[in-house]
Amino acid sequence: MKVLVLTEQKLMEFLASARTAYDVRVPVSLHDGTRVIGRLGEGPLAIKGGAINQKITSIFFPHMETVLKCSNGGFESPEPAPKPMLVVGFTKQDADCLEFIDRFYNDKFRDDVYFNKRDNAVIVCVSGRCGANGKLLKVSGDNCDMELICDGQDYIVRAYTDVGKSLIEDIGSTEIVPEETLEQIEKESDQLCVEGLDLLNAASKLLLEDKVPDEFWQSISDRCIACTSCNLACPTCTCFDVFDRTNGCGIDRWRIWDSCQLDGFMREASGHNPMGQELIRTRRRIHHKLAADVTRWGHITCYQCGRCDNVCPTGIGIMSVCKEMVEKYG
Amino acid sequence: MKRTLTTCPYCGTGCMFYLLVDDKDTLVGIEPSSEHVTAKGQLCVKGWNAHHFVNHPDRLTTPLIRKNGILEEVGWDEALDLVVSKLKQAQSAGGKDSAMFVSSAKTTNEENYLMMKLARAVFKTNNIDHCARLCHSSTVIGLMETLGSGAMTNSIDCMEKADCIFVTGPNTTEQHPLIGTRIIENVTKNGAKLIVADNRKIRLARLADIHVRWKNGTDVPFLNSIMNVIIAEGLEDNEFISKRTENYEELKIVVADYPPEKAAEICGITAQEIVDVARMFAAAKRAMIVYSMGITQHTHGVDNVKCCANLAMLTGNVGSPGTGVNPLRGQNNVQGACDMGALPNVFSGYQKVTDPDVRKKFEKAWRVRNLPGEIVHTVTTAINAAAEGSLKAMYIMGENPMMSDPDQNHVREALEKLDFLVVQDIFPTITSDYADVILPATTYAEKDGTFTSTERRVQRVSKAIEPINQSRPDWQILCDIAALAGYEGMKYDSVSDIMDEIASVTPIYGGISYERIDMIGLQWPCPDRNHPGTKILHVDKFSRGLGKFSPARYRPSVEMPDEEYPFVLSTGRSYFHFHSGTMTRRSQLLDREQRFPYVEISPQDAAEHAIAPGSWMYVATRRGEVKVKANVTDVAKKGVLFMPFHYKEGPANLLTINALDPVANIPEYKVCAAKIRKAQ
Ligand code: SF4
Ligand code: SF4
Ligand code: SF4
Repeated sequence: MKVLVLTEQKLMEFLASARTAYDVRVPVSLHDGTRVIGRLGEGPLAIKGGAINQKITSIFFPHMETVLKCSNGGFESPEPAPKPMLVVGFTKQDADCLEFIDRFYNDKFRDDVYFNKRDNAVIVCVSGRCGANGKLLKVSGDNCDMELICDGQDYIVRAYTDVGKSLIEDIGSTEIVPEETLEQIEKESDQLCVEGLDLLNAASKLLLEDKVPDEFWQSISDRCIACTSCNLACPTCTCFDVFDRTNGCGIDRWRIWDSCQLDGFMREASGHNPMGQELIRTRRRIHHKLAADVTRWGHITCYQCGRCDNVCPTGIGIMSVCKEMVEKYG
Repeated sequence: MKRTLTTCPYCGTGCMFYLLVDDKDTLVGIEPSSEHVTAKGQLCVKGWNAHHFVNHPDRLTTPLIRKNGILEEVGWDEALDLVVSKLKQAQSAGGKDSAMFVSSAKTTNEENYLMMKLARAVFKTNNIDHCARLCHSSTVIGLMETLGSGAMTNSIDCMEKADCIFVTGPNTTEQHPLIGTRIIENVTKNGAKLIVADNRKIRLARLADIHVRWKNGTDVPFLNSIMNVIIAEGLEDNEFISKRTENYEELKIVVADYPPEKAAEICGITAQEIVDVARMFAAAKRAMIVYSMGITQHTHGVDNVKCCANLAMLTGNVGSPGTGVNPLRGQNNVQGACDMGALPNVFSGYQKVTDPDVRKKFEKAWRVRNLPGEIVHTVTTAINAAAEGSLKAMYIMGENPMMSDPDQNHVREALEKLDFLVVQDIFPTITSDYADVILPATTYAEKDGTFTSTERRVQRVSKAIEPINQSRPDWQILCDIAALAGYEGMKYDSVSDIMDEIASVTPIYGGISYERIDMIGLQWPCPDRNHPGTKILHVDKFSRGLGKFSPARYRPSVEMPDEEYPFVLSTGRSYFHFHSGTMTRRSQLLDREQRFPYVEISPQDAAEHAIAPGSWMYVATRRGEVKVKANVTDVAKKGVLFMPFHYKEGPANLLTINALDPVANIPEYKVCAAKIRKAQ
């Protein structure tokens, strides 16, 4: 089979050349080895190693940003970026998350601040034999513009959208790759996340059927310190709070990531709080993604990206909680 | 977007993270470091919000001098000239010790070192102290006497290795969150035993095998009685005692007076609870004591600390993984500020000022003569002296005694009486309201340096943005003051040079350099450039040679509840705010979480006083009265109130008592008598 294959060096050259048209973001390794999506040159390229710990959708929905500027009696929205972004480093699960929040931010009320960055951005997934500790990363299929499937060393490049295809054309050269390599990776990839999905579906069913008692949520919330990390790392968590800050000549309105694990998240001005109990907040974190969203969107909105389980300091990310729940009540 | 690796400015856990800076030099976010030994890609809510206050419009941005009662903006030269001339004036009128220098556990090691050098080498006084006086001075003294070092004996990762963890006095999941989570994980995943001895039903108490809610201030009889049971039942570690310790007979005599029945009565618990704790602790292969302010902030704080050390030695739980006596440091650099000698009795590295050889060594290194050998004031006695009129001038760097010292009216009186007060800070505070000069300093995000975490790990603080407006890093301000006062020995090209000087005069920091701690910090003692640092203290030998049992007898707290003031009031911190609130109350989410001053009160007490949850009420002591919201919760025990001290509009320290431990001078923040009433 004739496909485009890039060595890491060639990939680097391609990304460097893409900078004329794009604001290129790639996984890099920072000062102490932490991998993040950064600019080329911010640190050594670090594509291999699996999902990036940071909330991947922070590229388009950052921790804190200005949403409005107010001066001389008028309002201004932030300007769109001069160049669209080309972002490398989404896993298949990350791309699923992105696809969902694209829909979310476009539903009824379109979030311009988000789409300023998101429109025309090119998403490049990474998959194959380059996960953490040599694990296989699920092959994306078609939920991105382009995909880099690692064979353990080099990257087989596949394009799914028109932009992706035209980018590939720019690179030109192609190589022969033994058909088995790709077939084998795809076959193995098909097996990934299946068990996880079964678990999430089973948990979702229990929640929809209201089979999980309060005492379960109490026992989980006893272990939650309200660090907010699960929300702040989750690519499908989209909540934010707003605040105003004066700058020399006017006022800027900012937004900052918020968390449903905080007591103040839903507290009313009266002091009444529909989510004023720890156990309710803990249930909400899981219930929202596995039950409420099923009712609203027709599907669960956790895509098994793994971040909340990695980042929760007490081991109660969504998968751990679902496991405990299904073991007890399933 | 630029990312800078630095250390969290909040608690002493010492997580490192990346600060995100946009193209306009504004901090716009935080990313955890997945590689950091403690953070491991995680943070608590304060860490996640640690960028927020830096660009707050309230920042002090230019030096201010009070002229005719009004603060006026001035240039740096004018402000610093005035500081130097006024400090000198006070000293020439009232003697060297009529000026007090207050350093800060928020600032870097380098800055603490320079503040102590300024006080001693330039202004020739040992009147240098900082807020460790208010939190762990009893630890430094109590553990020094028993073990030979005032620091946490073990490392944070030991929390995961213990078979039994005895938590008394810290609310770790709120005050050292990523240490608290290690305890939770060890308990829930490995089945480690957890004993919580705390009046409040803190989160860890919900997961504890035994939760003892004894009366505040009865730590000594409680701990003595545990030891009594251990000895009576032959559960002590005789080999450890005979090989590694001294003065055991003395301990036996004292604890013999605390049989469980007698102690139980003093402590307000059952004898069985004491026996259960003793057996569980003694049975564990690796048992660890974790303590904090609940132990230290008493007029018998030093005694409490000694009892903790006694218990660890009695059961052979010192010097190995998963054991030890572990006082958790509550501020980012309170460990470092002590290490740097921002204390009246020691130079950096706990080298005694009363030792003439030590003074000679520093005289040579600093190229000065006649370093003072007398110890006069601590932070707490300095306030008393100012109120009496014998202390004339104070230079406060990064502290807010009006909020953090006991008995606010007394502190106000003291500050008002001073001839000259200079406050160097990042935001205006109610302490700076009394200042004659205010010097704008930078936050942690605008400077380089190091903090030392609770596990003695010296870690880098790195500059992410330029100083805002005219603010300047504390170390540069201190160096300028030294130069203006005519001292040539405080000129440095960079903070790394300051660390090199610290290493050269401080044996425990001897091997620390910026090059070595570039990515991962080193744990002291680290005596030379090839030393890998020390994870666990007292491994084969105690720092003082043999561990010394130092028994203590029960002394009740100074102000006990009575008919008029029937409640016990205890104070401390909450999860979302930090100390006097200057930073967290200027951070959107943290402030939103807890916007009002509050008191924790038990459902029974609230019901008896017809106080509805969330309603306003008054708490009064013999010092004053404060209006707060009622946080009705079963965290509080009947008869006991708990108030955090973050709120200037509802200051807990207006109520606390200015009663001090006779040795450590630490105030009794944890016990005073109070009464309550409903607000109409
Ligand atoms: S695994 Fe956790 S972080 Fe990832 S999408 Fe699901 S809920 Fe969000
Ligand atoms: S990460 Fe874990 S501890 Fe933190 S808020 Fe989420 S569930 Fe709670
Ligand atoms: S645990 Fe302490 S050091 Fe770590 S993020 Fe929280 S406040 Fe900062």
